[in-house]
Amino acid sequence: MSLDPHPNLTSSVIFGLGWLYLIQFVMNFAWTWRSLKKGTHHRVPKFFGGGEVPVAMWWGMYTALLSMVMIAHFTGFSSPERFLIQLPGWFKFFVDSFIADAKWYFGFCVGAFGLMIWFRRVLATETAGWLMLNGGVLFLTLSLTDWDFRQIVGKPDNVPIVAMLFIVGYFTWLYFNRSNENDDRIEAGLPPKEAEDNEKVLVWPDLVYTELICMIAVTAFLFFWGVALQAPLEEPASAVKTPNPSKAPWYFLGLQEMLVYYDPWLAGVVFPSVILGGMMAIPYIDFNKRGNGYYTFNERKFAVSVFMFGFLPLWVGMIVLGTFLRGPNWNIFGIYEYWDVHKLEALNNVNLSEYFWLYGLNTAMPTPASTDSGMRILGMILLRESPGILLTLGYLIAMPSIMAMTFLKQYAFRMGFIRFMVFSNLILMMAALPIKMLLRWAFNLKYLVAVPEYFFNI
Amino acid sequence: MAKKLTTEEILKMSRANKADQSDTAPAEPAAGAAAPAEDSAPAKEPAKPAAAPKGAADIMAAIRAKGAGGAEASSGKPEAKPAAAAAPKSPADIMAAIRGKGAGAAPAAAKPAAKKATAEASAGNLPPVGEMLAQLKAGKKPAAVEAPAKPTLKLPTRPAPKVAPQPTRRAFLLDVLLSPFALAWTVLAATTGAWVLMLARFMFPNMIVEPPTSFKIGPPSDFPLGTVSTKYTAANGIWIVHTNQYKGKDLIYVLASVCTHLGCTPSWLEGEQKFKCPCHGSGFYINGMNFEGPAPRPLERVGVALSSDGTLEVDKSVKFQEEKGQWEDAKSFVDGSIA
Ligand code: FES
Repeated sequence: MSLDPHPNLTSSVIFGLGWLYLIQFVMNFAWTWRSLKKGTHHRVPKFFGGGEVPVAMWWGMYTALLSMVMIAHFTGFSSPERFLIQLPGWFKFFVDSFIADAKWYFGFCVGAFGLMIWFRRVLATETAGWLMLNGGVLFLTLSLTDWDFRQIVGKPDNVPIVAMLFIVGYFTWLYFNRSNENDDRIEAGLPPKEAEDNEKVLVWPDLVYTELICMIAVTAFLFFWGVALQAPLEEPASAVKTPNPSKAPWYFLGLQEMLVYYDPWLAGVVFPSVILGGMMAIPYIDFNKRGNGYYTFNERKFAVSVFMFGFLPLWVGMIVLGTFLRGPNWNIFGIYEYWDVHKLEALNNVNLSEYFWLYGLNTAMPTPASTDSGMRILGMILLRESPGILLTLGYLIAMPSIMAMTFLKQYAFRMGFIRFMVFSNLILMMAALPIKMLLRWAFNLKYLVAVPEYFFNI
Repeated sequence: MAKKLTTEEILKMSRANKADQSDTAPAEPAAGAAAPAEDSAPAKEPAKPAAAPKGAADIMAAIRAKGAGGAEASSGKPEAKPAAAAAPKSPADIMAAIRGKGAGAAPAAAKPAAKKATAEASAGNLPPVGEMLAQLKAGKKPAAVEAPAKPTLKLPTRPAPKVAPQPTRRAFLLDVLLSPFALAWTVLAATTGAWVLMLARFMFPNMIVEPPTSFKIGPPSDFPLGTVSTKYTAANGIWIVHTNQYKGKDLIYVLASVCTHLGCTPSWLEGEQKFKCPCHGSGFYINGMNFEGPAPRPLERVGVALSSDGTLEVDKSVKFQEEKGQWEDAKSFVDGSIA
């Protein structure tokens, strides 16, 4: 018996992982079969003797490896202390030291997003998709050998988020896969694929039957889920007691993450409304008639990239950050790191006005005297916060015209004044989150405009 | 049972029947002929017209007669008789006869047939408008006057009305109470009553009653310098702080345990000497000043004073905000040297 209270491996864990490997084995067995049927070959480099080998051979080898690993799990689970297949410590350390830092995490998200767009031709092929799926499942399986990872990923309320990651990945892949095909066709002067086989189906029975079957299947699945995974109920709510960490429902974790950088009235009221209103405004802003009813990337590069940037790194990425990385006291923890309540993270934050008056000008902040009248107090506050106010106004007023004169010239021209103003302000609002994050990480900047007297901070 | 009439057949028949109502005259001999086919009924001109049916109505009548007779000989016969007897007199009688036969055939056929037949039979009391019109056209009196009592009404197949025994008082009461009407009202009343009760219960939620806003927390000596007491946090939402880190003065004051960002309850971390909020990570020094995370303002103080019996008394109904200069207010602290 192990004395470790947080053992990385136990018999039941090893046995359970055996099932995960079994699933991967079956998956890849089918894939090997498919590859064999297709009969694709590829050349072996001269150095290894030249000639051609079937692609299925590689898949077969991987499948065989998986089967051996699976057998090892199903036979060796009785002695977890001597079980060898688990994540090496250096790997965990390496991953943790990057991911447990918001800068790196966010940089990674944005970088991955850029790479995805850049290499969409390669990544959206079937083979690449299969490799990524395999990689994701294998990473999950291996990571589950870590106690801390299991604590957070295995929580019943985090199961849908893990599922969501795979689903989001699949649909993104699907989108690029289809658009690549259509983009090729359009380039060759052909109509998009969807225009060619517009096979119409009947509402009854085709559609209604499908819907009925889906309804039943989903209901059955929810029943199964409800029985298999218990609802994570907590102690009764109390106004003077907050669980640590205290997390919003998973789909709101993006908003909660926003609250770290912005005042509640902005992150909790203004930004969510702008997100909702902005999404509704998209059809009225969009003047590009192409891409209607078929998948395409090349014909709507800007629209798709902007939307995806808002959705993938800024929304899904923040959900992942909030779910898996935020721990006690809302500190960031690595995925293999113990949730230590006493983890120390220095986060001394300074307002822009303090930077400006105290450090920049080396004078005292303009402070209203206690005898001052209301108007004078307001004037003093405005003077104190003037750098931030000017910056913010400049951002919202000057930036649209700069954008219209430089890289969005075409858009400004085609949209007209009002539409372009709405459009550019929506873009600026969206960009405000990463900008504020960068400022926080780079300069420990708390608020650009800080008027705590009137609960107004930006 | 030789032949059962299907619903379709019956429908067809009744449709044909209606279509031919204007042509009731030829049905007269037909009905007469159909009945004697079973037994020698006292019909005036029996055989000949039957041999050559003139129209659809004749055929229908014949079929019906056969259906009635063939399907259930025992019940068909007695019914056919009165029908046939009445037949020659007027078209209305013939109609009634047909109907009566239909009714006779029905129980033998099938349930829907029976329904149809009984429906028709009872409707026969007042002949349909079409029928009356047809009779008027033919220059005859409306059937309803001439045939007030139908043979169908006297059919033995209809159950005789039960003769209710004279109810006793108790039985009568029970009858009333168990009638569906009364039951429905009772259930409705009970449901509504339960609902109202639940509503009343809802007005008194299962909660901790708000503690008084003004209460004693013990003598100042309970709170030595450099400590934060979390003794009253869970119940009253306050920390009692004794520190000399706010402007260098030795003070005892009481902080509300409400984060100034979005209102979560931070925790006091003894090792780090700071208040840390679990919601978005705001941090506050022991003196209540915000220094990390998004909280824009220092924690708020509540009123505290030394009461006459030498203990400290907290008044949560007043708040003191540092950024408004209210921490200078004498009600927001007591001198720490008395501890
Ligand atoms: S509520 Fe305390 S940090 Fe947001």
